[in-house]
Amino acid sequence: MKVPLGKLFSAFVHIGLVAFGGGGNAQLYQAIVLRRHWMEEREFLETTALCRILPGPVFANTAAHIGMRLGGVVGGILALLGVLTPGAILMLLLSFAYFRFGAVPGSLAESALDGVAAAAIGLILATMIRQAPIALDSLKAMGLALVVFVTYGLLHWQLLLVLLLTVPAGMGLYWQEAAKKSFTEPANNRSGQEMGADSRG
Amino acid sequence: MGEILEVFLAFLRFGVLSFGGGMANLPEMARVIIGNDWVTRQEFADGFALGQFVPGPNMLAVLFYGLSAAGLGGAMAAGLGMFLPGAVGAMLLVRGWEWMSQAQWSRALRKALVPISMGLSASMVLVLVQLSVESLLWGVGVLLATFLIYRGVSVVIVIAGGGLLGLLTGLL
Repeated sequence: MKVPLGKLFSAFVHIGLVAFGGGGNAQLYQAIVLRRHWMEEREFLETTALCRILPGPVFANTAAHIGMRLGGVVGGILALLGVLTPGAILMLLLSFAYFRFGAVPGSLAESALDGVAAAAIGLILATMIRQAPIALDSLKAMGLALVVFVTYGLLHWQLLLVLLLTVPAGMGLYWQEAAKKSFTEPANNRSGQEMGADSRG
Repeated sequence: MGEILEVFLAFLRFGVLSFGGGMANLPEMARVIIGNDWVTRQEFADGFALGQFVPGPNMLAVLFYGLSAAGLGGAMAAGLGMFLPGAVGAMLLVRGWEWMSQAQWSRALRKALVPISMGLSASMVLVLVQLSVESLLWGVGVLLATFLIYRGVSVVIVIAGGGLLGLLTGLL
């Protein structure tokens, strides 16, 4: 799907304005999939998952990737600038104030921040609940997610180690299924028929 | 100018090496940035807190460190170094996407990464809860926000509401 660049930029600026507290990808999901229907649900999930293994801030990477899919190279650059600009301006102002006056905003701002943080966590949780039926659609998917959560989230193994173990294991689990053509193929109709012929029979 | 280049190269290295988002790379960043006398320990922590406060990626904190190291030019250099490598890679992935979808291994990879990504999200939520939910009140707040957003209430309203509620608890 191609989107006019003006619309694309304003959408990503808006996302950049409201993406508080590590909820960036959840905001992208709300804005791109649920509100504007610029991407399909599974396509979005595969895209964000893939952008996670790249180095650097995941949210910015995903924005650049989606922007380029929706509006070419210029779209990618605009999307990246869009999600960074509002926060960058605020960050620079606060930093100037900090180095000038030598203190972070007082305790009142911090308690407001507590509330924002709670809402941001709620956003990530709500997004996970919404995505779970598609992302965790089989026993092996649930098992894989659980292993990652236990090793990385609970036992605090090195991320690189967790990925080195679970990614090849996961690819093994999905190897057979991956023989079918994916929906993202341009020649969707033809491959759809082939898929119906060899897998559903 | 030499200082700005030095800042750019340091943050470019963080940008290239930080797999799994910026958070995982934080200890290494602290070692280098504090070691170079670009910020003090206290300033490092305060800069990170500001990064949590502003919208957008938390790693916007690098602007704070760059500013402290080499002024406005340093802030720009730090931002470019941090965000450019991943973004370029992510955009190249679009070009590689169609070529990759021909190969069975890459379809298997993409399918496998979806549940793995859910596991990473769950881990991130756990860390965020441990870092920022300090009282039962905000535990309930998280659940309430989850429910409201799941039921389709606008995200902006819920986040603004959370901020106002926090402000109120600060006043009381």
